[in-house]
Amino acid sequence: MSAAAQVTDSTFKQEVLESDVPVLVDFWAPWCGPCRMVAPVVDEISEQYVGQVKVVKVNTDENPSVASQYGIRSIPTLMIFKGGQRVDMVVGAVPKTTLASTLEKYL
Amino acid sequence: MQTPEKPTQATDKSLEAMRHFSETYAKRTGTYFCADLGVTAVVIEGLAKHKDELGAPLCPCRHYEDKAAEVAAAYWNCPCVPMRERKECHCMLFLTPDNDFAGDQQEISFEQVRTTTSQY
Repeated sequence: MSAAAQVTDSTFKQEVLESDVPVLVDFWAPWCGPCRMVAPVVDEISEQYVGQVKVVKVNTDENPSVASQYGIRSIPTLMIFKGGQRVDMVVGAVPKTTLASTLEKYL
Repeated sequence: MQTPEKPTQATDKSLEAMRHFSETYAKRTGTYFCADLGVTAVVIEGLAKHKDELGAPLCPCRHYEDKAAEVAAAYWNCPCVPMRERKECHCMLFLTPDNDFAGDQQEISFEQVRTTTSQY
């Protein structure tokens, strides 16, 4: 497993919506191949933007409420939250450059 | 930070069925497995797990409000409608040769699948 912290239905509000810094949320599921592919990319982003961006993961199988609330369909879905609002999202196993350039808009 | 639980694997019977299906379907459609066969292994395990739990190999790369209802709707049962109509597999199990992630394999052994999925 990766370095980014797992958040749950019960901790999502506190960890994501009430965060002082922008948050990248990786919505994933255990037996989703592309999720395994994007996980190391997400970890690299976490290290590269340490202090600027908080990076967390949501297992959609175990946390259906938050996944449904944000209309997650295809996974992996990477969502960016700022000031308690969803501001952007990227779907699928994207290259690090794509994810970084999306994220940069909100720093 | 919480420690994630280890995800449970499918039965050997379902895994073998989905592994065999994946090889046959790739060959029949002229598609290839991902260059990273670990991706292939994880998806096959996911399909087999859904076959065990739901009776059909529902796509493991989607989130559903109601998995039983989705199985009945059949749209995302593998091979899903986008795959059958347009060779689109967002799970990256079946990749057309022009896909950057496509490898040159259409076969994967039971042991290869389990060697990968036992790590998780």
